[in-house]
Amino acid sequence: MSEVALLQIIGLCVVGMGIIILLFIKGMFLRVLGFVAMVLGTFSLIALSVPQMASLPPAVETFDLASVKSPEDLASIGQKIFFSKGQCALCHSIGPSESARCPDLNGIGAKLAPGFIYESLTQPQAYIYLDYRHEGLPKEYPARMPHIDKDPIGLTNQEIYSVIAFLQKMSGEPISVKVEDIMNVEGEGDQKNPKVASLGQSSQREQQEARGTIQE
Amino acid sequence: MKSLGCWPQHDSQRTGRWNPSLLGWSAFLALLLFPMMAWAGGATQAMSVEYRDIPGVGSRNVVWVVAQQHLLLAGFVLGVPIFAWVCEIVGWKTKEARYDKLAKEFTKLLTSAYATTALFGGILLFLLIGLYPKLMAYLTDMFFPSFLLYCLLFLLETATLYMYWYGWDYMQGNKKAFHLFLGFLLNVFALGIMIVPNSWATFQASPVVVADGTAWERAWAAMQNPTWWPVNIHRLIANVVLGGFIVGAYAGIRYLLAVSKEEREHYDWMGYVGNFIGVFGMLPLPFAGYWLMREIYQYNQQMGITLMGGFLAWLFILQAMLIGVLFLGANYYFWMGITHRIPGSESQYRKPVMAMLVVLLLCLGVWMTPHSLVASLEEARKMGGTHHPLLGVFGVMSAKMTVSNLMILVTFMSFIMYWRAGKQETAGWAKAAKAIMGALLVLAGIAVVVLGVWGYFVPAIIRINYFSVAQVLIVLFIMITFTPLTALLMKSAKTTTEMVWGKMPIRAGYSLVLNAVMVILLMSLMGYARSSSRVHWHIYGVMRDTSEYAFSPALGYAAAFMSLNTFVFCLLVAFIFWVATLGDKAKANPPHGKPIDVPGHAAPAMAGGSPRVGEKLE
Repeated sequence: MSEVALLQIIGLCVVGMGIIILLFIKGMFLRVLGFVAMVLGTFSLIALSVPQMASLPPAVETFDLASVKSPEDLASIGQKIFFSKGQCALCHSIGPSESARCPDLNGIGAKLAPGFIYESLTQPQAYIYLDYRHEGLPKEYPARMPHIDKDPIGLTNQEIYSVIAFLQKMSGEPISVKVEDIMNVEGEGDQKNPKVASLGQSSQREQQEARGTIQE
Repeated sequence: MKSLGCWPQHDSQRTGRWNPSLLGWSAFLALLLFPMMAWAGGATQAMSVEYRDIPGVGSRNVVWVVAQQHLLLAGFVLGVPIFAWVCEIVGWKTKEARYDKLAKEFTKLLTSAYATTALFGGILLFLLIGLYPKLMAYLTDMFFPSFLLYCLLFLLETATLYMYWYGWDYMQGNKKAFHLFLGFLLNVFALGIMIVPNSWATFQASPVVVADGTAWERAWAAMQNPTWWPVNIHRLIANVVLGGFIVGAYAGIRYLLAVSKEEREHYDWMGYVGNFIGVFGMLPLPFAGYWLMREIYQYNQQMGITLMGGFLAWLFILQAMLIGVLFLGANYYFWMGITHRIPGSESQYRKPVMAMLVVLLLCLGVWMTPHSLVASLEEARKMGGTHHPLLGVFGVMSAKMTVSNLMILVTFMSFIMYWRAGKQETAGWAKAAKAIMGALLVLAGIAVVVLGVWGYFVPAIIRINYFSVAQVLIVLFIMITFTPLTALLMKSAKTTTEMVWGKMPIRAGYSLVLNAVMVILLMSLMGYARSSSRVHWHIYGVMRDTSEYAFSPALGYAAAFMSLNTFVFCLLVAFIFWVATLGDKAKANPPHGKPIDVPGHAAPAMAGGSPRVGEKLE
């Protein structure tokens, strides 16, 4: 017997007991208790009739370096991270969507340089692209991009690069992230990584020049 | 260990001052010290322990029950002083003894529940230290200065409560002002006792980056997290609601058990006051809840989505059901009051009551409509998705905000109707005032609906920031303008039908009990929501829950637990109140001779409203 079925039987018994008390017991206090039991049993039964979803903790995902042989492997891992640990799809869509609360990432890998994407993920407040909805009023609230490299999401540099590889592949761009670069990137402490830092700075300037809409 | 437990007794015997309570305290301390000493023995091992479990039951389940009992009792003992004090002030200003007596009866319930609240707080603390040592070490490191502040506030609150309660009869006449000042202090300290621990709990949900500094600076920075004040305000109002409805349920049960006419009259009136306090607090509560949710979204959109659109989405359907039943119960009680306490009013108000009932039921139906329906694959295909083509329209926030505002408006108007029943306005401007109020009410209702419908056609940001806020402000405007206007109208009004107390049917008592159960369930449900919104984190994004209980249980299991907790709480409160009234029964029915004549305000059992000669009830 499943847990839900067992709880339903208990709930029914409690409701039944409440009804019996109300029908046959004269003592007023006991009748009130029977009434309370009936109400609580009914509440439990209703709660048991809605979809039962538990929130399970996600497994701690690790970047399996050994499995990466080609940029496509990297993009494949990035895709998994995009829809799971990275939680990107919680707010972003790939293609038009009414439920998306944040920019549509369709073709983003072709529009933005990898360095700028990296910076957007790790320092989202550095530059705020107010008009990212492309229509209507600028939307600053409630969307607020989290720092992807910090808790609660906490992607490592290798994982972030994999996501960038996925975004490029999904946009039909050649994947510029190289497997050997990934091997050399430290999992933690991205600020100390000269390759990452220089990539971010140069692309920032490029983007600033290229887009008048980017505001500080 | 043995010597520790025996020492006080031995010492007392030696000095000839053997004291059983001292022995009891020693035994209690020894009991507490035993596990501490045992753990101290393996200090190195204890340092590495992250969790301890209670086999068979589960540590989380035990903490869940104890924390829930503590929080519900705490909500009661922090909410009651607010309206007990207000009631005392009303009695002092109007010179009507019944209000003073009612305030004293409220305080008696508070005093009885206070020790039990502290007891559960102590048990909870020991359980948390023992079962979650790593988390508690982190929180202690962050908040230790605030722990000291909390202890100080608790001492001050206890001392003030002792003076407030035991000095009630002594501080009458010229000393009444000082007694009222004590009541004020009681509420100030109670507020402090509530907001300090709130900061610990809200930090777990919305931690902030705490820079280096002194211990006080770090604690203060951590306390000022984004959801602290929204939760403080929400809990403050909710405590008043809980206190009001529990007092109402107490009065309802006493009314059902009453044998004399005086008792029935008194507890009918007390039930009315309890229900009024509950409704009074309930009206602004959704606005406070809206602010809290907004802050949660602003702090972390992901957490907001987990609450409103993730695995907890169905919880809000249950919440709508509970709030809907609560609104119906509270209104039903008002309507019964009009029918049974004001003879002749039934026919006059039948049509408006029916209209209000229809509006409430329609609103409840919309509020309970889920965004995505539970459908089989076949059904979903026919519908073109899980959104029903017609009902799906009601499943979104725009519809729910609209109906919740309308339900608040209806409930407020029920109260206004009750207030005006049995009275005839005599002021020259009464007709114009009533016409303006009627027009404003219709306009407000239309505006709320129009904004709700318009909300479908604008971006979410416009709806959240402007339309929903406008709806709330419209309803608040009605409440703020109608209340003083009605008070002015009633000041010069002529009473056409005297209010008759003690004539309510039995179902009135049950509806008061139902309201209290709904509020307790609501608090339990939303506590589960707040805790579950942290998902697998003890401190969101900072300290991950790595125990075997790092999951949030499904709604059905959680609801069964909430029901159990509610039932246990009801039994606990019934027991506490029963014990509290034992002394009064003894005074009323002494074993030998005549009942003791307890003069004036020293009659707590019947305090507050048994109509006596010369005392006007309404």
